[in-house]
Amino acid sequence: MLAYMARRVLFLIPLLLGLSAIMFALVRAAPGDPVVAMMGPQAASNPGYVEQARENLGLNEPLPVQYAIWIGNLVQGDFGIAYTFNNKPVLTLIGERFWGTIQLQSLALFIGLAIAVPVGIISATRQYSTLDNTITVSSFIGLAVPNFWLALLLQIWLSVELGWLPTLSGGQDNVGWSERWKFFVMPVLVLALPNIAYFARFMRSSMLEVIHQDYVTTARAKGLTSRTVLYRHALRNALIPMITVVGLQLPRILSGAVIIEQIFAWPGLGGLAYDAIGRRDYPVILGLTMLTGAAVMVVNIVVDFVYVLADPRVSVS
Amino acid sequence: METEQRRLAVTPRGLEAELVVGAAPLAKLLAPAPRRLVVVKRFLENRLAVAGLVTIVIFYVVAALAPLVSRYDYDALQSGMRNTPPSAEHWLGTDRAGRDVYARLVKGGQVSLAAGFAAVVIVMTIGTSLGAAAGFFGGWVDAIIMRLTDILLSIPLILLLITAASLFRPSLRTTIIVIGVSSWPGAARLVRGQFLALKGQEYVTAARAIGAGPVRLMSRHLFPNALAVIIVEATLWLSYAILLEASLSYLGLGVQIPTPSWGNMLQDGQRELLYGAWWLTLFPGLAIFLTVLAFNLMGDGLRDALDPRHRRR
Repeated sequence: MLAYMARRVLFLIPLLLGLSAIMFALVRAAPGDPVVAMMGPQAASNPGYVEQARENLGLNEPLPVQYAIWIGNLVQGDFGIAYTFNNKPVLTLIGERFWGTIQLQSLALFIGLAIAVPVGIISATRQYSTLDNTITVSSFIGLAVPNFWLALLLQIWLSVELGWLPTLSGGQDNVGWSERWKFFVMPVLVLALPNIAYFARFMRSSMLEVIHQDYVTTARAKGLTSRTVLYRHALRNALIPMITVVGLQLPRILSGAVIIEQIFAWPGLGGLAYDAIGRRDYPVILGLTMLTGAAVMVVNIVVDFVYVLADPRVSVS
Repeated sequence: METEQRRLAVTPRGLEAELVVGAAPLAKLLAPAPRRLVVVKRFLENRLAVAGLVTIVIFYVVAALAPLVSRYDYDALQSGMRNTPPSAEHWLGTDRAGRDVYARLVKGGQVSLAAGFAAVVIVMTIGTSLGAAAGFFGGWVDAIIMRLTDILLSIPLILLLITAASLFRPSLRTTIIVIGVSSWPGAARLVRGQFLALKGQEYVTAARAIGAGPVRLMSRHLFPNALAVIIVEATLWLSYAILLEASLSYLGLGVQIPTPSWGNMLQDGQRELLYGAWWLTLFPGLAIFLTVLAFNLMGDGLRDALDPRHRRR
């Protein structure tokens, strides 16, 4: 077990190198000039300035050299300085936006689970009932709604028409929580909806699978009440696959919801990524993708590890 | 082993885990006729799946007949008709340039449905080829392909897409290629899992024993048996691809105006929302929603019809 985990962790090194090479090549294949984006059109009209800036940023070195320098700095924890965003260090920028995304996404995840798990259980225990069918159809609908469209409709309805909620997220830092929660309602709702639908469907099929296992029949045959069988025997095992499903949501949580944060002008990582791509801010794009990629890879290992701990039937061989 | 199989089979929003775990649905399409009928019958018994199929057929027919089903040209600008609400003349209203929204929606459907289809062809071609090679040959081929999928899957798809899309001049073709080339890892892992499971079956060993080469084994024995899973995956991917196209076009990185697509109609209508022109946002979104829903229902029904074991649960 430990050896297996150690091997997985060691394997992160080539994976991260591969990720960095792919992302570096992808980002640097871009035709747009970051120097022009950085200096603005006025300063950029002077070729001397542009040349000087390129030299200062190391953009005149051959690409492999630039890559090597970047990796060397990365290993030492230096993610560089943003070309735009007032030339803040990349890590500072990410740090500033990190909490915004984590608050939003963990709330959406938590609400998703809190609703989906009971719904999935009810659905599974009353398979093919009217309630189950309604839940199934609703989850299909929840999964099919384009969330950016839902966000626009909610904005027009709840904030423009009714005036109940603020349209954008600006200014939320300046008010107390008695006002601040209003900023969270729409983005959390939009992000939680697909979570609810997806988790509920998974919970239902996971629960159904367990209910039909022999040991559940045995527990029933022993004369245990269906309540005990359901919660003591079935539920605990049905929850195990949810570890993986929730783990799979982490890339999205870590990178932030690019489009939704954009729509609500939410101060998070998704909005940062979108802005950085638009401005061709290489260090920020690369820093974000490397951190997200690394986090996702680590989380995958952790998820598998937790899975093995939770389900003794699974071995790592 | 089991953990890995489960993990790899769950694609961004689908519930495909069950497909790989356990027995594989077998060669339904090359099966004798009665068997095929059973599958068709099972599919038709599923009302939701049939509703999905009917919706998709209607949408494709309407899109194909685009010039015939709308009175107005999708690009015809009418002065004095800026942002008029739905009426008898303009069923779904007009946009800020006085263009008929219904005509644009139908034309946009043509673009979005075609883009989704083309992107899925690319996804499934790359995914199936690489997944098949990885599953069949194993060893270093498998290792390289799987590590590549690990890397690509570690970047959130939408981030990868907007990075890639912003590199090229945005257009319909760019959108299709970007979605196709970035989205194959899920399909590759699924097909690999199928090939791995099938490779160990006795009939494959038997075919190998009588001298079948790798090409024949893969094309005649493994691929037909994995086809059911591939078709289900492709159906579900059609819904993701249409959503992804809409997202990219909404961000302005996909299909460009004046060519309408459901995504760029949403982007174009968004700024008119403040003036109360809700019809510019409602209808394109509804079209995307219905298409995605229909493909999901159909894909789910197909899976149940092809895999009776799955249906029982």
